[in-house]
Amino acid sequence: MALANEAAAPIALVGTRKSRGNLTKARIRWVIAILAIVFAVVMGRLIQLGSVVTDSTIEGRERDVITATRPAILDRNGLELAVDIRVPSMFAEPRRIIDVDEATEAILTVLPTLNRDWLRKRLTGEKGFVWIKREMTPAQRDRIFALGIPGLDFVTESKRFYPSGKEASHIMGAVNIDNQGIAGIEKHMDNEDVALLQSLGLARGNELAPVDLSIDLRVQHIMYEQLLDSMTRYQAVASAAAMVDIRTGEIISMVSLPDFDPNNPSSAFEPVNGKKDQRFNRITSGIFELGSTFKTITIAGALDSGLVKMTDTFDARFGIRFGRFTIDDFHGKHRVLSLPEVYKYSSNIGTIRIMQQWGKDNFRDFLTKLGMDKRMPFELPEMRDPVVPTKWPEIVAATASFGHGLSVSPLHQLMAYAAFVNDGCLLPPTLYKRSEAQSKPLCTTIISPKTSAQIRYLMRLNALEGSGTRMNKAAAGYRAGGKTGTAEKVVNGAYSSGLNLNVFTSAFPLDNPRYALIVLVDEPKRENEQSGVTAGWNAGEVTGRIIARAAPLLGVGPDFSEMVDASIVPVELR
Amino acid sequence: MIRTLNVMLVCASVAALVAVYAIKYSVEETANEKVAIERQIDRQEGELSLLKADWAYLNQPSHVAPIVARHAAALGLVPISPQQFGSLEGLPMRPIIQKDETGLDELFSSLEAGVDPAEQSVEVR
Repeated sequence: MALANEAAAPIALVGTRKSRGNLTKARIRWVIAILAIVFAVVMGRLIQLGSVVTDSTIEGRERDVITATRPAILDRNGLELAVDIRVPSMFAEPRRIIDVDEATEAILTVLPTLNRDWLRKRLTGEKGFVWIKREMTPAQRDRIFALGIPGLDFVTESKRFYPSGKEASHIMGAVNIDNQGIAGIEKHMDNEDVALLQSLGLARGNELAPVDLSIDLRVQHIMYEQLLDSMTRYQAVASAAAMVDIRTGEIISMVSLPDFDPNNPSSAFEPVNGKKDQRFNRITSGIFELGSTFKTITIAGALDSGLVKMTDTFDARFGIRFGRFTIDDFHGKHRVLSLPEVYKYSSNIGTIRIMQQWGKDNFRDFLTKLGMDKRMPFELPEMRDPVVPTKWPEIVAATASFGHGLSVSPLHQLMAYAAFVNDGCLLPPTLYKRSEAQSKPLCTTIISPKTSAQIRYLMRLNALEGSGTRMNKAAAGYRAGGKTGTAEKVVNGAYSSGLNLNVFTSAFPLDNPRYALIVLVDEPKRENEQSGVTAGWNAGEVTGRIIARAAPLLGVGPDFSEMVDASIVPVELR
Repeated sequence: MIRTLNVMLVCASVAALVAVYAIKYSVEETANEKVAIERQIDRQEGELSLLKADWAYLNQPSHVAPIVARHAAALGLVPISPQQFGSLEGLPMRPIIQKDETGLDELFSSLEAGVDPAEQSVEVR
């Protein structure tokens, strides 16, 4: 036993130690296993949490896009044309709404315009997000909060606001409910870079620098007021006007009536007197046969070629026959006319003779040089291609010389006139601020400074003695001058003698020109029994009134001395 | 030796615990304050945008013009006519005025004598 004991003891000792050791190892293994399981669970949960994609969109649109802001738009003097305001928009979480009927009735007390059935359907269901009403007033939001309905909440959205209302509607354009430009300069800005900033989520807060436009809001207001007045005074169906700084090509103001309210973009589609699509921008996206105002273009080109001289005379005794057509004068003098007389009496015959002496192909090339074959490069997206015939037989050239048979936008003509009076530098128009130095490289020379001086004289002469006298009376002292155009409108494929499109294109002050102006009055009637229907009576008078009000604001003072007009007369006619 | 060390470590860990909790709660408090301030800024920016829009609206010629028209009769407001403009060249030269030498001398002597012209004018009234 002793031996056995002696032998067993170590064995037993070894066994105990072994069994203890085994036990410890087993325990360690268990601990490791349990720990591994715990860690695996933790790891699994982490992976699960990491792979969850939270839906931050609001009805499929990123929240950043909805709350994105747009830069403020200022006029050239820093007055706001468009600003962003932050407004609350209400949304509901239907799954958190306890009593749909109660919530519906409560919301309707604050927003009675909502449809009850639509609202109830909207609030029912298990959705996590539905819009109830976008762009509310803060007062409405406070009243909704006071109702204490669970499941209703607000997002602050940016809403575009145009403080000037309708006055600059065609320039500004409009934005949709997600604050993206859909028309006008707003759309242009989006095409440039605002949309990119918004999509990157950078356009938040008020960090965007304001955009300066070339528009002068005061002149814009005067123009708007005068055109509204012209609509009632002459019972016109439409009227439009634009003014440009001839040294830089900056558009100072641009109005087209009938218009729309940019704060309510859908008003752009409302019919006018039962007619649809009347609220477009007539200056850029309307093309017209601009009538006699085109004679300035013909005469400018002819004089510049050197083939026609200021002292030349033209036989306007008889109408000109082209096949079965005879072209005659409206205010016929039926005698031999000097060039200034052709302009002053707006002689169609004289203008055709001038064009013939110059050459019809030279005339066509000059139109191309003036950019009348293509769209005017301009910021507004609402533009239309001009229609100038490419086939150019004698009769087409003849009618084109006095502005019939070809259609261009009023903007085309305005920029051509601007070039005629600013020593022959054709500039692309712009709605952004541009300095004289910046406009220098953009200039295309179309006529010489000498021809420019002659055109300035002719335009002033027409105001003093020709069809622009009514304009000159209204704008006395501001040395304005221009050309009238009374174009018969095409109705059902034939010229109608009753319906006219009247145009007056002018520039002022002609001793040192700064601004060019075009005014259109569509289908004007007589103001009273004594007045006429030609352009001098309506478009001309409107021009005069605009100049008289706007010129002092633009830093052009009146000057009544006769020396000024005498100094414009070219040397060869003194 | 080890006992004192343990006591110190326990004390230190308790202190650390208290400190960590204190920091945690103060951070939470600061974060809450930050959120509150951010909300306030957001609200005020919203209000500011409305006020700016209001200001812009009130400054528009389209808003001012009707007010002018409304008060034109009472205040005798009419658009300025071209004849009313003048220039510096149109101003006549200032007529040469004969200086009242004796009067000036009197004034200077009275000033030197200590008479305050302001008081005199009060007395005259």
